[in-house]
Amino acid sequence: MTKFKLIIIAAILIGVNGLLPSCAIRKSEPITGKTVNTSDLHLRAGEVLYMTYCDKCHPSGEGGLGPALNSLNVPSFVKRFQVRHGLGVMPYFKKDQISKQDLRDISDYMKALKRL
Amino acid sequence: MNKALFSVIALSVLLVQSGCYKMRKSAGGGQIKTIPARTVNAGDIALPPGYKIEMVAQGLTFPSAAAFDNKGDLYVIETGYSYGEVWQYPKLLRINPGGGTTTIATGEKNGPWTGLYYHGGNFYVSEGGQAEGGKILKITPEGKISTLVADLPSIGDHHTDALVIKDGYIYFGQGTATNSGVVGPDNADYGWLKRHKDFHDIPCKDITLIGQNYTSDNVLTDDPNDQVTTGAFLPFGTASTPGQVIKGKVPCNGSIMRIPLAGGKPEMVAWGFRNPYGLAVSPEGTLYVAENGYDDRGSRPVWGAADVLYEVVPGKWYGWPDFSAGDNMSASPKKESEEYEAPGKGEVLPVIKDYPNIPPRPAAVFGVHSSSNGLDFSTSDAFGHKGELFAAQFGDMAPTVGKVLAPVGFKVVRVNTRNGVIHDFAVNRSKKNGPASWVGGSGLERPLSVKFTPDGSALYVVDFGILKMTKEGPEPQTGTGVIWKITRTN
Repeated sequence: MTKFKLIIIAAILIGVNGLLPSCAIRKSEPITGKTVNTSDLHLRAGEVLYMTYCDKCHPSGEGGLGPALNSLNVPSFVKRFQVRHGLGVMPYFKKDQISKQDLRDISDYMKALKRL
Repeated sequence: MNKALFSVIALSVLLVQSGCYKMRKSAGGGQIKTIPARTVNAGDIALPPGYKIEMVAQGLTFPSAAAFDNKGDLYVIETGYSYGEVWQYPKLLRINPGGGTTTIATGEKNGPWTGLYYHGGNFYVSEGGQAEGGKILKITPEGKISTLVADLPSIGDHHTDALVIKDGYIYFGQGTATNSGVVGPDNADYGWLKRHKDFHDIPCKDITLIGQNYTSDNVLTDDPNDQVTTGAFLPFGTASTPGQVIKGKVPCNGSIMRIPLAGGKPEMVAWGFRNPYGLAVSPEGTLYVAENGYDDRGSRPVWGAADVLYEVVPGKWYGWPDFSAGDNMSASPKKESEEYEAPGKGEVLPVIKDYPNIPPRPAAVFGVHSSSNGLDFSTSDAFGHKGELFAAQFGDMAPTVGKVLAPVGFKVVRVNTRNGVIHDFAVNRSKKNGPASWVGGSGLERPLSVKFTPDGSALYVVDFGILKMTKEGPEPQTGTGVIWKITRTN
């Protein structure tokens, strides 16, 4: 992919995230009528891990101490990068705290929450 | 190479979008420009499918808890005190069919009345004790008030908290005097430091200090250049020394204590809490507590500290003021400690030497500044979610507790205490979460406690009412409290 195309994609991302109204931020059960189906083991694990590490600043994926995640339109690998390295005031979580599989499970749970 | 470049660009997008945290304004749920009249419309509240909500009573002033007598009649207490220092007479009210009230008892101006429990034909009330110290009261159905214990150390930031009765004892929470152990100018903002210049936190057992001290403006003099140095667990302006032992005694701050049903000397159940506001006993007989976490304020600010739910293990120390949710805030290497550093304010340094035990980890982690308070377990299939714990979230008091980017709390949630998973249960029906005065509409303001009916078929929500927040502090609104009732539709 050319550098020019990458810049165009980045500009579109900026537009989607910053200039257009946010996509629905609220995904909780009273609003959507649903919860994430955690019959899948990884989604069930991801939900518990999200509650342990993420929910205090991003309750139900909405804003709180931190910004809303449900309306964040960046690829999952970028979000996982941010979890590993932190960003601004957001702390980082290394593999001894959140393993590679744990991080994938959190990421899958967040995707499932966004789809509600 | 392309992936690396793309990552850089996408991260830049994230940075632009998230903005510099320090540059962003606080957007708490109490940060409203104008205070609307409280209107009530159950249709503005969203619940999961199969549930409905209705208003039971309105026009109350600072209601905090509910209970049912043996006939199933509903009773509510009004606190008689609010942050922002509004002093009134606390009351025990019966809510009559149609929403009218009958005053059963009126207390002294020593609120807030924080907890209400009905047992054996009588009511038991936690008197928060901002003026004269906390008490546990017994009130007969005829309204006669007697004191079971008094002089609890409640004249600081946090009070004598909600109570439950179990195994012939009254268990109650006792909050701390300060945010994180050190008396500072923020305690003058709360109103009590100028009234009680020597008050400070009292530990339940002896602790040894590291000797860490904090310098601040001396808010007790008019000289703007006057400064003092204060150590943990000591009066304002008194420095600590390395190895100094602070004697423990009961009653103590930051604890769960109990007294016999007939009254008597308090005994410590567990300690090392900050503000153990809500208590509930599970169907299996286990005691749970909702603790309000640290704020980003004062001489020793802490950032990113969640409110938590703990299972109460007798005898255990739960970590205040050096731990948050089981994390050592001053750990080395610095991973855990960086998580709690308030932006621009430096790391949280330890104040205690030789911890009594490794603090327990929480059963669940609530939102930072959510003010997760009153609790009750669902015990019936008639309501559903049998065995789950319901919690009222009063909502953030930003900006004085610290900045938030969006309102936190202002809802009722349900908690699976086995795995810590939390789901919203009653929220305002709006694009963003927040109280009705912030999002618009006529739904929830600040749920402070929840109570199931004795048969478990209905959940009552005690809604404190409108509390505006500014940089100067809270502005509570009298007459805006509401009682809601949630039931199944099928």
